[in-house]
Amino acid sequence: MIHGLRPARPLAPLIVSPAILATWWLVAHNSGAGWVQALGDVVFGTLLIGVLGPCVILARAQVKVVAAPTDGTAGLPLEVRLSASTRLRIRPVVPPGPDVLIGPVGSRRAADDHVILLPRRRGIHDSVVLHISTAAPFGLQWWKRRVVVALPAALHIAPKCGTPMALAVQAREHAGESILQASAHGGEPRGARPYRPGDNRRHVHWRATAHTGELMVREMEGPAAQPVKVIVALPRDKDAAERVAERALGTIVRLLDRGAPVLLCTSEVSGPVEGAVDERRGAGRRLARAVAASNGGEATADGDAIAGIALSL
Amino acid sequence: MKVLEAVRRANQPRTPEDSVRFRVACSGAVLVAIAACASLGELSSLSAWGAVTLVAVGTCFSYVTRVHPPGWIKLLLAVSAVAAVVWFFHHVSSGPISDITSVEDPLTVLFVCILVVHSFHVPSARDLMFSLGASAGLMAVGAAQAIDLHFGGYALAWVGFCLWGLTELWRSASGGGRVSITGLGATVVGVTLVAALPFLLLPAPSVAVRINFLARPGNAGSVAVPGALAGDAGSPAELSRAGTPSGPTRVGGYLGFANSLDTALRGQLSHTVVMLVRAQRPSYFVGETFNSWDGENWSTTKQTTAAIDDGSPFSLPLPEGDDANGQTDLQTFYIKTSTADLVFHAEGAAELWFPASTVFYSSDGTVVSPIGLGSGAVYTVDSRIVTPTAQQLERASGGPPLPAADNEAYTQLPHPYPQAQALAESVTAGATNTYDKVAALIAWIGANTRYSTDIPALPAGADTVNEFLFGNRVGFCEQISTSLAVMLRSLGIPAREAVGYVPGPYNPVTDLYQVEADDAHAWVQVWIPGYGWQNFDPTAAVPAANPSPGATALTDLGHALRQVPVAPVSAVLGAVVVVAAFLRWRRRRPANWAERVARSVERAGRRAGRPRRASETFAEYAANLDMLSGGDTDAWTCLASAVEESVYGGREPPPGTQRDLVDTANRMRLIRRREASGVGS
Repeated sequence: MIHGLRPARPLAPLIVSPAILATWWLVAHNSGAGWVQALGDVVFGTLLIGVLGPCVILARAQVKVVAAPTDGTAGLPLEVRLSASTRLRIRPVVPPGPDVLIGPVGSRRAADDHVILLPRRRGIHDSVVLHISTAAPFGLQWWKRRVVVALPAALHIAPKCGTPMALAVQAREHAGESILQASAHGGEPRGARPYRPGDNRRHVHWRATAHTGELMVREMEGPAAQPVKVIVALPRDKDAAERVAERALGTIVRLLDRGAPVLLCTSEVSGPVEGAVDERRGAGRRLARAVAASNGGEATADGDAIAGIALSL
Repeated sequence: MKVLEAVRRANQPRTPEDSVRFRVACSGAVLVAIAACASLGELSSLSAWGAVTLVAVGTCFSYVTRVHPPGWIKLLLAVSAVAAVVWFFHHVSSGPISDITSVEDPLTVLFVCILVVHSFHVPSARDLMFSLGASAGLMAVGAAQAIDLHFGGYALAWVGFCLWGLTELWRSASGGGRVSITGLGATVVGVTLVAALPFLLLPAPSVAVRINFLARPGNAGSVAVPGALAGDAGSPAELSRAGTPSGPTRVGGYLGFANSLDTALRGQLSHTVVMLVRAQRPSYFVGETFNSWDGENWSTTKQTTAAIDDGSPFSLPLPEGDDANGQTDLQTFYIKTSTADLVFHAEGAAELWFPASTVFYSSDGTVVSPIGLGSGAVYTVDSRIVTPTAQQLERASGGPPLPAADNEAYTQLPHPYPQAQALAESVTAGATNTYDKVAALIAWIGANTRYSTDIPALPAGADTVNEFLFGNRVGFCEQISTSLAVMLRSLGIPAREAVGYVPGPYNPVTDLYQVEADDAHAWVQVWIPGYGWQNFDPTAAVPAANPSPGATALTDLGHALRQVPVAPVSAVLGAVVVVAAFLRWRRRRPANWAERVARSVERAGRRAGRPRRASETFAEYAANLDMLSGGDTDAWTCLASAVEESVYGGREPPPGTQRDLVDTANRMRLIRRREASGVGS
């Protein structure tokens, strides 16, 4: 028995099918007619195939993820392309999504189709959990089965971009010197060095390249401004943690928009992680991976602490 | 409140069913069911045509109004359905239920009425499923009345429509999930296998509830002398007459059941189906017995006949030796061809459902009808079968002896049979009881005689038994059974000649034994003290005489071919041919526009006498055709370019352009056929 294979709303066929067969049997054995029995056998066969056939078809059905995005946002739909070996009704369970019918239509080969996922919370998904169901070949009884389908790459569901926390301006700051306005990508050139894969092509030093005959890039000093450290300590309560993560992302996005370098501190399954984030997607991924802090979500940083987020310079 | 809520929920409008094919399949199933019942006479032609028309109109109406069905339709349908049910109960309760048809016929009308009414309001898939279910009920009512394989055509068509409808249901529910040809084949095979399982494993249905059984007069004729033997000459009402070689089967009477049995006549019985019999077990269906033997003819002098007029069902006195506690064997006889007015039945008839107020019962347990039995006549007999074992018969000694007068009548011989007696005594020398003597004589007959219907005529004045036993020892059931009876009588054992039918081939689908004219048979009844008259069939032990393989094979083949139900087999073969043609067309049809264009171009080239060569690319071929058409338009080359770009380059023109290209290819012709062979070759 395939795990999780079960009929959907079995009560009606469980009552109706035996009732039909019992009535038919009564007719056959009160008329004594061979044709009644012969036709009754066909009705029996049809009902049995109609009721149990989908079970066999579903047990053999195959669903694969053909393509899926690697990033998404909680509350926003995202499309996953699936391939099914037979016509199936699919309901995404984790992450959830609306029912959709996919599979070949009048063709023997598997057909691709799209499933909409509506993740409610941030997180990382290596697979999607689906309820697949079918009533083929007769549409008399639907059977459903829970399948876990691996994604080609991990799907990061970032939190929604919540309301950013208020960014306090400290007394020692002066106009034009705010740390929040320092360029995150700037810095002063310190020298030139040979190109390494991954270097920004804008940093290619053409003169040095021409001089040495080797592709050289400018080596920059570190950012002039001090990064803003955003410490996110998620509470254990999932809803509360979601709200904190949303607000943290909103804050980070606001900081990034202002050009401030951001150092994001979170707790992950592997332990505390501290790292710079320079774009929204990176921040979203970090927050998707974040788990509740070991101390239960109390902010410990030495700065403003609002709902588990702390900022420090 | 919960009930009200449930009713409200059940009556909520459901999603309208848009699938025309699903509707057509369901309507087809309903129409086939109506036609099946009409073909069985359960509906008049007028009613059937009216129902078919109304169902067709109702189906169209309900499709048009599926989204917004008019409010009044439900009220109208409810009133009509209630009226039909009221009519049914009034009709059934207004008169006595004479037999099961007095319920089934009104039930058919009720089903048809409900189907007709319902067809006007079938907005959703669930309503269509109800139509399929109701058509199943109608088919069940029809199947209860069906007694031959012609019903198979309707059954096949109905099953086909149902399977089509169900696959369309799935298609509709899954947004176009069509069952592939392979899947459909697997489904049909699965249904067939699952259906075959109970068909093979379950016993044949038997009537479980004792209600009034079938009894119909059919094409009966009134017999001039009630109680007299009639109908054996071909007409149900014509009185029996002595057999002559010029009779329809060269035995005088229609099937040889006459007032006397002339063993000098050589019958040639046909395969005409005489009757269909639904019985719980195969039995010999006795029609007459004879006690008086004159050396050539059997006749009846002993039996006394009494009229039983207590109405159907008739309670028949059980003959001596039969037991009212014996095993019940219900037999329903469906007369297919006009036959003698004998009420054939298995031994031990205790109750008779017969379409007459009087029947004539003889002391030998046989029954004569007061009316002629023509085609369509139906009657039912309840026999109590007692089947003693060989050991019981060997030990039989108790029980009342046969009265002296009867004993004399059943041991009567027209003249001494010294040779036969000596033979019988020598054969039964070691036997100490009646049964062993009978068994020894049957064994001897089986070992020393041969069966054939093609025997020379009995010489004038000759004795049948002496001719058979001491002549060529070849004969058929009449000579064989008569010889046994005479040898038994020569030993002082009461015996009589019985004639009737053996059951014939059993049809597992209709659950009926098909009794044919050549199933007419003669056997011997022997009096065994304590067990009464027991049947013994010496013919069963006799091997066939010098069979001719070719003639036998041809006869068997002809017989087998005549058994084939023409209508269902033709329907199945026709369906197979249509499906095969469809699949061939489907496989060979062009898969896309490019292939269609290519085929048109190649067809045009072939017609012009310039077929495409195996080594030629399509572009080369088209260029050659261009030259053939004048070479100034490049039309063929353009077509070929578009096709090759599509096939090899994956560049598909817009759908409109594709259609234009196909049209162009279809229109283009090569006119200069004479020059064709010289161009491009």
